[in-house]
Amino acid sequence: MLGATLSRWTLAYFGVGVFFLLAAEALMALGVGYPASALRAPQTLLLVHCVTVGWLSLLMCGALFQFVPVLVAGPLYSNVLPLPALLLILAGLLALLASFLQLAGLMPMIPHCFLAAGVLLGSGFALALWTLGRTLAAAWPLNLPARFVAIGLCSVAAAVTLGIIFTLGYGGYTRTLFLRELQARGLPLHIIAGLGGWLTFTAMGVSHRLLAMFMLSPELDGAPTRWTFRLGTLALAIVIIAGPVAIAAQGNPDLALLIAGLIGLACLALYARDVVQLYRKRVRRVIELNSRMAGIALAHLAAATLLTIVCAAFDLFGRHSGALVFLVCFGWLSGLGLAKLYKIVAFVTWLECYGPVLGKTPTPRVQDLVVESRAAKWFWLHFIAVDVATLCLLLGAPLIFRAAAAAMLLGSVGIALELVRTRRLVNVKAALRLPAGTRQPRLLFTFVAS
Amino acid sequence: MSGTAGGASMEVIRDALRLVIDPELGYNIVDLGLIYDVALTGDRVARITMTTTTRGCPATDYLQSGARDAALSVDGVGTAEVTLTYDPPWTPQMMTPEAKAHFGIVDE
Repeated sequence: MLGATLSRWTLAYFGVGVFFLLAAEALMALGVGYPASALRAPQTLLLVHCVTVGWLSLLMCGALFQFVPVLVAGPLYSNVLPLPALLLILAGLLALLASFLQLAGLMPMIPHCFLAAGVLLGSGFALALWTLGRTLAAAWPLNLPARFVAIGLCSVAAAVTLGIIFTLGYGGYTRTLFLRELQARGLPLHIIAGLGGWLTFTAMGVSHRLLAMFMLSPELDGAPTRWTFRLGTLALAIVIIAGPVAIAAQGNPDLALLIAGLIGLACLALYARDVVQLYRKRVRRVIELNSRMAGIALAHLAAATLLTIVCAAFDLFGRHSGALVFLVCFGWLSGLGLAKLYKIVAFVTWLECYGPVLGKTPTPRVQDLVVESRAAKWFWLHFIAVDVATLCLLLGAPLIFRAAAAAMLLGSVGIALELVRTRRLVNVKAALRLPAGTRQPRLLFTFVAS
Repeated sequence: MSGTAGGASMEVIRDALRLVIDPELGYNIVDLGLIYDVALTGDRVARITMTTTTRGCPATDYLQSGARDAALSVDGVGTAEVTLTYDPPWTPQMMTPEAKAHFGIVDE
């Protein structure tokens, strides 16, 4: 089955994801949400879900549909289900954003909008999880990177479940005391399961394999890496299982969060060791832009970890949690996401266009589909703007924050245009661009021969 | 097994396989050390044993069919059989000196 390892809808996930990234950055530049509004204000919730669901989760789902088969060396369970999953998540997200606009009084009330959001998002993520889960199950027992992904999938299930409970609460459907307590005190669990378990832990697992692949580093599966996995899993299990139990028993999950936080720090310290090993032991001395920028994103994860420690030590979470979440979302997750997106789009485009004529005619390299020197400046603009914006949030400078958000938007537009150029094969020399037997790739759809 | 058949020889087939590049590394699969063995039988059958840089590589199917097509392009080859193996697993040390120099890899 030629081309069976190409995911048909990954590019569609990426396209919608990038749209929401640009939309979120434009909203921040216009002063919508935190810091202009309170952290729990509807405008901030709208912004946060554009970033976490619209951008980061769709990016992660799209990437996993392509790379879980690589991790387990087996085919994706279904190349069809990702499309309805995307449509359901998109419809659910739009319903959720509309619900927040209604809460803010910026839109006329539509009955049961929160309920629709919960049902649609829950169904969409369930479909995505089913597809990825069945792919992993077929490859049991799992290798170490795939186990990280499996825990990430459990985490997104927890984050979405909590999110559905919150939407039911906002919609006025919850009567049970426990569910109302969860809504009042479960926000840290929702954030940690989503940003920590789903997005960060999954990215950690995938990065173990991708960094090794792209830099020709030895794959890590020794005892320290296994402990990275065990400690991270334990920390997430405490948050996801002990957190709600603590809320039910005492009405307060703080102790569970403290224990999970300490274990999580040990996990991150071991992961830092893994990453240093991957970069140090690489055989490929000159590394590509995506690996260099992934390194900068990893440095932002380290910075976010340090900021967490400082906030915990000086009881500053209340004051700086917005800056912390911003740094995690944009410095670490978006930085890594954009860096890997730059590589994956070129790689998938190459496979789709030139894979079928390999051995029949000369083909360009994946590197010939991109111009790294031109893209590098947009990545640097993104990271510098994120750093300035984080400082503005820490120091309380909302106007400069908006200017920094505009610079982030400019950087993201630049990267998005580079991705379109890659997809259009604009950077490939004319003589090699479309040899006989090839076809121009579509922007948001991958042709998969069956 | 013999080393030649018609106009074909194992060296000619290896040369033809250089048309196939590993897309990620951008270098031909022969000098990367991904071709473990090329054999040519008297009945014009080329048997190629190859690997990929990583197990589960998304380009695996294309690399296999590309190697087959490249071998079939050689005069004197009527059939090409490509076998994939991960024993032994590929390491960058399997590259030719020229490929190592290209990637700045130091000999162990």
